[in-house]
Amino acid sequence: MDIQNFKKLLFEKAKAYGFEKCEIYFSSGSSSEISVYKGETEQYKEEESGGFSFRGIYKGKMGYFFSEKTDEDILDTVVKNAAENALLSESEEKEDIFSGSEEYPRVNTYDEALKNVDVEEKTALALDAEKKAFSCDKRVEMVESSLVESGENSIYLANSTGLELKNKTNYVVAYISVTAKENESVKQKYDYYVGRDIEELKRKNIGEVAAKKAVASLNAKSVKSGYYPIIIENKTFADILSTFEGNFSGEAVNKGFSLLKGKLSQTIASPLLTLTDDPLLEGGMSSCPFDDEGVSCRKKNIIEEGVLKTFLHNIKTAATAGTQTTGNGFKANFKSTVGVSSTNLYIQKGKTSFEELLKKAEGGILITDVTGLHSGANTVSGDFSLAAEGFLIEKGSLSSSVEQITIAGNFYELLKNVEAIGNDLSFNLSGVGSPSLFFPSIAVSGQ
Amino acid sequence: MLDKNTLSDILASALSTGAEFAEVFVENVATNTINLINGKAERILSGINFGVGIRIINADKTVYLYTNKKDRDTLCKIAKNGALALKGSTPFSLITFNESIPQKNICPVVYIPGSISKNEIVGKLKEGSCAAFDYDKSITQTSMGYLDTVQDVLIANSYGLYTKDKRVRTRVSIQAVASDENEKQTGYFGPGASKGTEFLKTLDIKSLAQEAARSAVTMLKAGDCPSGRMPVIIDNGFGGVIFHEACGHGLEASAVSKNASVFAGKIGEKIASEKVTAYDDGTIENAWGSSNIDDEGHPTERNLLIENGILKTYMTDFFNGRKIGIEATGSSRRQSYKYLPVSRMTNTYIGAGTDKREDIIASTDYGLYAKYMGGGSVNPATGDFNFAVNEAYIIRKGKICEPVRGATLIGKGADILKDIDMVSEDLKLAEGMCGASSGNIPVCVGQPMIRVKEITVGGKS
Repeated sequence: MDIQNFKKLLFEKAKAYGFEKCEIYFSSGSSSEISVYKGETEQYKEEESGGFSFRGIYKGKMGYFFSEKTDEDILDTVVKNAAENALLSESEEKEDIFSGSEEYPRVNTYDEALKNVDVEEKTALALDAEKKAFSCDKRVEMVESSLVESGENSIYLANSTGLELKNKTNYVVAYISVTAKENESVKQKYDYYVGRDIEELKRKNIGEVAAKKAVASLNAKSVKSGYYPIIIENKTFADILSTFEGNFSGEAVNKGFSLLKGKLSQTIASPLLTLTDDPLLEGGMSSCPFDDEGVSCRKKNIIEEGVLKTFLHNIKTAATAGTQTTGNGFKANFKSTVGVSSTNLYIQKGKTSFEELLKKAEGGILITDVTGLHSGANTVSGDFSLAAEGFLIEKGSLSSSVEQITIAGNFYELLKNVEAIGNDLSFNLSGVGSPSLFFPSIAVSGQ
Repeated sequence: MLDKNTLSDILASALSTGAEFAEVFVENVATNTINLINGKAERILSGINFGVGIRIINADKTVYLYTNKKDRDTLCKIAKNGALALKGSTPFSLITFNESIPQKNICPVVYIPGSISKNEIVGKLKEGSCAAFDYDKSITQTSMGYLDTVQDVLIANSYGLYTKDKRVRTRVSIQAVASDENEKQTGYFGPGASKGTEFLKTLDIKSLAQEAARSAVTMLKAGDCPSGRMPVIIDNGFGGVIFHEACGHGLEASAVSKNASVFAGKIGEKIASEKVTAYDDGTIENAWGSSNIDDEGHPTERNLLIENGILKTYMTDFFNGRKIGIEATGSSRRQSYKYLPVSRMTNTYIGAGTDKREDIIASTDYGLYAKYMGGGSVNPATGDFNFAVNEAYIIRKGKICEPVRGATLIGKGADILKDIDMVSEDLKLAEGMCGASSGNIPVCVGQPMIRVKEITVGGKS
């Protein structure tokens, strides 16, 4: 059944059941992925899938139901369950169906040229990355995975107030994982590209980059435990920021889960640091004209020169906090309830070149990788203790590689203690960005 | 679900370019989640997942296709298009299904989810929230969660397999947050089972919530964990995450078949201390990680992985098993129809030893006692692992002393297995979710209390 027809039937059914207002959120997508191994295609994946989420106000409360089945015979189940879920809610916060913003920004989220990239081209790209990894250095032992995936997603949001919004995005991802070996030392490193530009993907040369990383980190050693000057590399700090970004959510603040509660307009970070959420960022993988409640999106600084300026809000959390939504009402996926999340979240780049950062961190360590963010970080307290790898910094440049260490500290302290910010802003796979950052002293555990 | 004629037509389309093997995985999942924040029901969500995954294999190549569509023509078309990515030479022969549905249900269910009202569930979760708040005035927030899923799967393949399974799972999460002016610390439990609502009825949620609160309050008052290498005693239950990460992932055939595991080619060799005997057992009655069949239709098994330190077998799926010459062990799993199945863990644990808990602590002069572990991860290719300790204490002269927080344990899997020098008698399992290439799946980890001679402990002081 087509979407318009399904919507019409569902809204009629909901109204008859007693829903005051309701909304349907359709998500559909398709993608194909090719991965190669030892010069041959190893896996080919192709999919087309989606579904819808229904929500509506029943006896004054919001109820949700989602389904990957879109047959007419599911309509009764949807309405009945959403009503049951609504009655159960004890939330004192008021969640509403939005009637629409006055205007919506224009933002590019779809590249027409990318549509024409076929399986052959993706295969060639994956094979080329694998080949370049092997030819980079004879210590490259294995390319465990070299893959290229492209796809597109569409959303359609419509509600009983007459609001109707559509958006379409596409993407291409390339990923390679390379293992290097010398004597008893084995290192595995990866690199990736995510974006909408095949030419840029080629220029990034991820095969060679991953191979160089793996080879450079061979024969790594641990270091003596102690406090060291530390540079955390751009994408690695972006991963750390991703882990703690929930604390900037109005939802976490309202519920008392964020230590930032009550700190608006206060200095919470170094004056060097500005943290921005920009849904309109050109080429941003999380760019969008409206959020999942249908509110138009806009750019804002969360931290401006060290001062906490705003939390991120959806309609409900903003109402509770007595402020306006920031257009950050997003669902984790179409099935979820509306929460709060960032779009393209990044720390603005600084003025310090990477070479100057190295000079500042003399005798310290460049941290290139951290692992265990899902477990070794307490997202509430900000405390972390993470397995890490990187390089010693001697005479202003990188020397031997370091492994089997942990770095430990507190996210909020890091924000305050950053002493220099690099000019090398880069985004991670989840669309969070950071330049490389210099900290004068972080606890390192090793031998 | 799909009828046999449709399944047979899809498989024929998938084999239209001469591939050796094709499989159809049909899945329907009904799910309910309820979250209580500070004792109030919020985020109540339910829904239906449905989809079909088609896998085609020829030699070392795999094609995987999935969709939410269920009509014969669309599915055959998808299969036929996907098959074009492969060129095989296997002559097509008519598929006759040999129905093999397990007779005995290893996860019998008393009350199917939906048979008690959601109000009753919310009531039970509230008891937990109240118990946590009542435990201590420094408990400032609670978060209680409930999840049930009923997953129906139908698996048919070109070898004639036709089988089904119904997996019913229920899980509760209990989190208590303790705060003072500057700090917040959390205590957490996430018990679950392959059971229906009877799991919730018998769960002592008050005790668990009090224990979560106690852990949070203890950690709020704890000092920073010291850094360095030291003996570490890891308690039973979720402590088994150490074996799961440090060793389990490296024993999955998907890593072994590419030589991307430090344990590849080591069957019959001593890879662990003789105190270590370990199993992966998908047949434990009603356990969180159990099911009657795996996600390619093979009955689950009890697999002896390590016996007195000697590596006995890998956890093996059909495709990777073919590559390394090991029969499938009922270990092929996937989160949903959106994932290619690969060898994964089910309920994985170190078996009971002979040491006494008291003796393990009493014989440790200085070290760390990890009472509750958090999660962790590993790179199977290098064996580097890391995991977090949620509640830890310093041991001095054979006694458990002050609590410390923020400890992370790191090391290499191959080393740590050899360094396990004491194993107690009190085996216990605990539930978790494991994320890897075929998605997030329910697993149990487990062990008795163990001692590792030396691990790098990462702390702040």
